[in-house]
Amino acid sequence: MKVLIYLLLLLSVNFLVIAADAPSVKPTTKESQKTTPISAKLWLERLSYSLKTLNFNTSFVVVKNNHAEPYHWFNGRDENDLELEIFATLNGPRHDFLRKGNVVSYIEPEVAPYSVESEKIRGPIPAILSGDISTIENGYEFISVGRSRVLGRVAQLIRIVSKEQDRFGYWLWLDQESGLLLKLAIISLKGQLLEQIQFTHLDITDSLADTLIQLKQADLPPIIEVPNINQEPELTWQVSWLPTGFKQIKANRHSMSSTNQPVEFILFSDGLVDVSVYVSASKEKQRVAEFVMDGATVVLNQVVNGFEISVVGKIPSNTAKTIANSIGIRATP
Amino acid sequence: MSESKFEKVSSLVDNYQNNEGHSAELFEQLNTDSVLSDTWSHYHLIGDVLRDELPSKISLDFSTQIAQAIADEPTVLAPKKLTLFNVVKAKVVQFSKPFGQVAIAASAAGLMILGVQQNVAQNEIVMPSQVFQTTPLAGFAAPVSFNTQSANRLSQKQIYIEQQRRFQALLSDHHQQVKLSASKNSSQILSTLEVEDSAK
Repeated sequence: MKVLIYLLLLLSVNFLVIAADAPSVKPTTKESQKTTPISAKLWLERLSYSLKTLNFNTSFVVVKNNHAEPYHWFNGRDENDLELEIFATLNGPRHDFLRKGNVVSYIEPEVAPYSVESEKIRGPIPAILSGDISTIENGYEFISVGRSRVLGRVAQLIRIVSKEQDRFGYWLWLDQESGLLLKLAIISLKGQLLEQIQFTHLDITDSLADTLIQLKQADLPPIIEVPNINQEPELTWQVSWLPTGFKQIKANRHSMSSTNQPVEFILFSDGLVDVSVYVSASKEKQRVAEFVMDGATVVLNQVVNGFEISVVGKIPSNTAKTIANSIGIRATP
Repeated sequence: MSESKFEKVSSLVDNYQNNEGHSAELFEQLNTDSVLSDTWSHYHLIGDVLRDELPSKISLDFSTQIAQAIADEPTVLAPKKLTLFNVVKAKVVQFSKPFGQVAIAASAAGLMILGVQQNVAQNEIVMPSQVFQTTPLAGFAAPVSFNTQSANRLSQKQIYIEQQRRFQALLSDHHQQVKLSASKNSSQILSTLEVEDSAK
């Protein structure tokens, strides 16, 4: 029943969108200015709904740094409403991200397979797209731009733009027919393309894909237990500036996965972008900030007064720098 | 002294060799001393005239022309390619010798500069962390013969590799933490934080 209502809503939305887009040929009237932001948000809500409800199998390529990484993506929902999802890399060593309801498993070559309790796969597609888009409204604006042809289909371009020019823009091309994602681009503040995801085929089916039926029957690796001792420690430092909308997700002390260097760590997120902040003691006294860009992900590393400070995330380097420089000794309350 | 030298040249031209050791020394001098080598060609010319073996057209600087031609042709084309190759090769040797295994990682890091980071896992296979932990000092424990300049260059490379390794480690750890963050545990933390925030 709920679904039916939603569908009706979506249909009406579609008409609304068309109605809103039609006058764009004429000089923009007050009415269309009013409706455009609403329709962009509705498009994103439709995307989220489609991602949750449709059975589809699709392939896409993540393009960054002159390098293309192809993926296969299966998504579906069985008769008991159990959501099933698989991301699998097609080139090189296997990286499989599996999801069965609220359990996500990561099967990667360098670590033993593990599962976490989560409703979303943290993979190449931003998790928020299948979630509640209104949670990022604080920091971002949604803009409906226009139509174009992507993957041989009619696509609506929606831009997710940061309000304060301190984060990258996300451009989404959504299928007019199904509402699904056809292309995603991360654009710098200067309009430069940093990273893009281009879908190469899309099959929407009535029934579950065979691979998903197999996943349903498969046993997933055990859910990892994060020891509580190192979680939420009393850190002696704090980050005093973050872009609007960022919240602390977790803090811990851990050893870096590849170097075993002990670090103090805080993860922040604004719902769309994750930013990691690392602080550790360093043998060096001072080192100027160094940056590396991996697609849209910036890695900043600097040593200040014997402390190594690193910031990692899909944010402009200036934002990363400001975050790093705002780190100081925690004022005792 | 020089008189006897000319005499020796003369006897050499006329194919009179009395002493092997002397002639070897003479050849050496012929090569280096331009006066002596001129004398050598003049004596030959005189001999040719006496024996009536002159060609129809005499070109006095024939030998220099040939030398010129030789110098022009092969030394310009072929060796240039060679030198380029040598430079590249020398670099590789210089690079790989002091570092040993680290050089492999360095090449991986070199790739990373172009592509920064294609794939965390792929790169990690190329440079397992254990190798790093045992070797970082190897570059500094240089042989005595290393001069300061090369030691500086070495440490710069070392710094570069260190830097790339740091970035790589940060990136992969970031991805790892993001994946782990999605646990139920963290969402509880988030909600308690929000409660704290609203309490304030």
